[in-house]
Amino acid sequence: MKLLDLKQKTVEEAAALLGVDPKAAALERFAAIGLPTKKSEEYRYFQIEKFYEKEYRTLSYVPHPIEEAEKIVITDGMVTHAPKGMRIYYEQCQAMDMAHFDPMYYLGHLLSPHVIKIDLDGDADIEIEHRYTQSGALINYRIVLLNQANRHSTVFESFQAEDISDTLVLYGYDIFVAPDSTLRMVKNQNMHDNQYAMVASHRFKLDQRANAVIKSFDMGEDMGLQLIKAELDRYAHIDAGHLLYLNNEAQRGTVSKIIHRGEHATSHQEAKNILDGHSRGIFDALIKVEHTAKYTKAHQNSKAILLDEKAYMAAKPQLEIYIDELEASHGSTTGQLDPKQLFYLRSRGISEVEARKMLVIAFANTLIEQVKDHRHQEIIKKTFDEAFYRN
Amino acid sequence: MKILEIKDVHAKIGEKEILKGLNLELEPGKVHAIMGPNGAGKSTLSKTIVGHYDVEVTEGDILYKGKSILNMEPEERALEGIFLSFQHPVEIPGVNNAYFLRTALNAKRKHEGKEELNAAEFLREMKKYLEMLGMKADMISRSLNEGFSGGEKKRNEILQMLMLEPEVIILDEIDSGLDIDALRAVSEGINMMKDGKRSFLVITHYSRILDYIKPDYIHVLKDGRIIKTAGPELVAQLEEEGYESIEEEA
Ligand SMILES: Nc1ncnc2c1ncn2[C@@H]1O[C@H](COP(=O)(O)OP(=O)(O)OP(=O)(O)O)[C@@H](O)[C@H]1O
Ligand SMILES: [Mg+2]
Repeated sequence: MKLLDLKQKTVEEAAALLGVDPKAAALERFAAIGLPTKKSEEYRYFQIEKFYEKEYRTLSYVPHPIEEAEKIVITDGMVTHAPKGMRIYYEQCQAMDMAHFDPMYYLGHLLSPHVIKIDLDGDADIEIEHRYTQSGALINYRIVLLNQANRHSTVFESFQAEDISDTLVLYGYDIFVAPDSTLRMVKNQNMHDNQYAMVASHRFKLDQRANAVIKSFDMGEDMGLQLIKAELDRYAHIDAGHLLYLNNEAQRGTVSKIIHRGEHATSHQEAKNILDGHSRGIFDALIKVEHTAKYTKAHQNSKAILLDEKAYMAAKPQLEIYIDELEASHGSTTGQLDPKQLFYLRSRGISEVEARKMLVIAFANTLIEQVKDHRHQEIIKKTFDEAFYRN
Repeated sequence: MKILEIKDVHAKIGEKEILKGLNLELEPGKVHAIMGPNGAGKSTLSKTIVGHYDVEVTEGDILYKGKSILNMEPEERALEGIFLSFQHPVEIPGVNNAYFLRTALNAKRKHEGKEELNAAEFLREMKKYLEMLGMKADMISRSLNEGFSGGEKKRNEILQMLMLEPEVIILDEIDSGLDIDALRAVSEGINMMKDGKRSFLVITHYSRILDYIKPDYIHVLKDGRIIKTAGPELVAQLEEEGYESIEEEA
């Protein structure tokens, strides 16, 4: 299929093209917002229209038998492996967000015949590996993730590409974080296949006193955008951190909207961006504090280091506030490696290349070291090394 | 044979000439103290020797063991044995202190054709010196100089000196901001390095440290030049009469 065919279509036309019920609620939303263009606010820094002309091969999503493994593996959009006893179902999405800002959220839902629903039991600690084997394909899937009240679970996401050249991946989560629970999501991404693109559109709903920790480490190439909408109920807390380490022609980043609805909720969002070559980093992040969200605390910050004069950072932290009883801050800086620090290291006999690497990793480390699990930290550091020496 | 010869060096920072025909020779095994008013160019001299990017040498030459070093990269000068303890050591958040020092030490060992130390071997060494300098064990795991007190930063410079075993050691106000205990620990570290071959360039404003590290020569640096060189007895005169009293020697 060609995405361009969906441009400016009526509900009926789009329903026919996508083969879905014209009364589907998602369809109405999708038709109302329309396929994003370079004028769409969410996609203003990401050249999504590049993919509209391409003819993608679509895949069929028929459930396979699931092999027992230590982690959940989703291969080309279907679960192929899972730990014993994991509760994973295919079902119709029961609770779609009818006010998501991202049209690709709806398109992802419309294209996917079902969602993969994962129930996290107790204090689960799982890994989800996304595996891709298809080139020139459109791979779309949606995951619904639920945890349990009073429980603390961790999901580590990793990515493996056997072949993903010229493929467009549309995936994403609908995540419901239960009252008094903690959910940690750590995403480690280093795919560098030819001309692939990934648009990951997520929705987080945090119940009262829920705690979500979202850390993404993106050191990939080519095109990738994650779009996050998060809503916070009373006393909920979100801690989001995003690392980008990009080179060559990569164009990647985060577009997010964190919405404070309940009182006393707190949000902390931090982006660290290291851009080399001709790459472009994106951090386009809004924190919105609604009139019901008294005593909010919201802090947001983006720091970028440009290692090449051709690299470009689009950093737009924004606050939109409808009350005055709150504590909020936001800011962004862009700079180069500190010459004083570089000199100090070299004056001790460390070569310039190694000194640069130490400083780049140091800049990233403050985010990496916030990852609670040391095993995950080690994996992320290793990924970083690979990405550093790849170029 | 001199270990370091600074010959008629003119150097500028930006458009401003700071060193204006500076001459100085360091002898092996000797302690040379440099004293001089604020802004005279003492730190600029030390930066010039280690190849700091701020400084541009416009005239003159610097020879280390008989060879010019002006075209050498800072890391090459370090690997060859020149060390500067900075007046204001920079903080580097996210770079682990032990990891940094091991990287530096192994670069040096590799340069000398020695085998590199693994993490355990290195830590054993490092701990020995930490204890000697009265430094806390958490200096191993903390980020390089980040949040270190003034005294801790200076001790950390001395720790690096001890482990890297350089041959020309420049100490830019190593004594400023140190309490008595720190001053003693730092001086002990420095004295340990004396082996009759290494030479020291001690930049200071106070005679106090010179009670611990006995200087062989006192040089007065004023307005970008060494205007007087004498024995240790000059310190008392400077303390009493200040720099105004010093006349440039012919
Ligand atoms: N990066 C710089 N940019 C501009 N001027 C500088 C810079 N560094 C030093 N200078 C100037 O060069 C002159 C000499 O400075 P230097 O730091 O060498 O003095 P110093 O003798 O070490 O003084 P102090 O005793 O205060 O440490 C001063 O006038 C200072 O302002
Ligand atoms: Mg100085």
